[in-house]
Amino acid sequence: MTAIAADLKRLSVGIGQIAVTGDPASVLVAYGLGSCVGVSAYDPSSKVAGMVHVLLPQSDSKANTKEPARFADLGVDLLIEELARQGAPKRRLLIKIAGGAAVLGPANAEKFKIGERNVEAVKERLKSHGLWPAAEDIGGTRGRTLELHPANGKTFVRAAASPATEL
Amino acid sequence: MSRSIDLMVAKLTGVAKDGALRAGRGLSGLMGQEITIHVPSVRLGTRADACDAVGGPEELVLGAYLTITGDVTGHVMLLFPEKRAFQCVDIMCGSPAGTTTEIDEMATSAVGELGNIVGSAFVNALADDVNLVLHPSTPTVVYDMAIALVQTVYAAVLSQGGEVVMIDTIFEDSIGRSAGLLIVAPDPISFGKLQELAA
Repeated sequence: MTAIAADLKRLSVGIGQIAVTGDPASVLVAYGLGSCVGVSAYDPSSKVAGMVHVLLPQSDSKANTKEPARFADLGVDLLIEELARQGAPKRRLLIKIAGGAAVLGPANAEKFKIGERNVEAVKERLKSHGLWPAAEDIGGTRGRTLELHPANGKTFVRAAASPATEL
Repeated sequence: MSRSIDLMVAKLTGVAKDGALRAGRGLSGLMGQEITIHVPSVRLGTRADACDAVGGPEELVLGAYLTITGDVTGHVMLLFPEKRAFQCVDIMCGSPAGTTTEIDEMATSAVGELGNIVGSAFVNALADDVNLVLHPSTPTVVYDMAIALVQTVYAAVLSQGGEVVMIDTIFEDSIGRSAGLLIVAPDPISFGKLQELAA
């Protein structure tokens, strides 16, 4: 399976970033999600796609709001806002999420539980918007790369040293 | 950035040089060749190119992660590009080059030991220089995309609030190829202690 065509423009969605596009020649990619969570959203009707890459669960855990989308609560809000602005209202969104792994080993993850808390926080915020992930690849101990193709709404997840699988 | 953080970063840079030197010496012995140590960069926050030293964000890396407890708490992570890690394992086990091709029990154990030696060398240098009691934990062997590991350590520190200070040391072999990346990040709760020492 070829998830990545060479002629597609890969738009990297880094930590704390949001990307929204309707360009069918592009792919939104969040590379190497460890304890981070990637949220992809797609409106099949307008073919507008969006993604956010969150690092931590709650914005109130620290005062710093330089990059609000680093936090699950603000990140989800901002993603939904931006999608709506570009013609993808939230009632039409198909949401998928990936990440929240314990890549430093389960014993070390126990201390902060960031991956687990990130997933919870993302779901909670989505729920407050009346949304729920249609598919997810979360938890475990391996990092993942998440990609979303605006042309057809297909979402792929690739774990380290593994081929991509459709989510 | 506050002045006290500035002072701490300056102090840590000096201490990190000694730590990197000792860690690099340990690594040179294990790799059977001269290893060059780049002056460690002490910085605030993550940098987009933090993973370049091991081949890029999605590069598969093998390494060891340990935590530090004691007077100062924090995180230590040593990462190698996968192929380079396998070369190290061959040298450490006295096997002909190219023997190790997958992460088996032997490779896991050897990489854990590498983490012990290099991580402890660094932590001990830090402890000697600042006269603190520091205990490195047993290493956890990690194998993943570089950015997933770096990001997770960053998140663990940032989640405690305050600034994230990361000390990066890049190791290179005699022909300038990357031989590894060592990341040391103190927990924010320890900044006070480190700032006292820097003052």
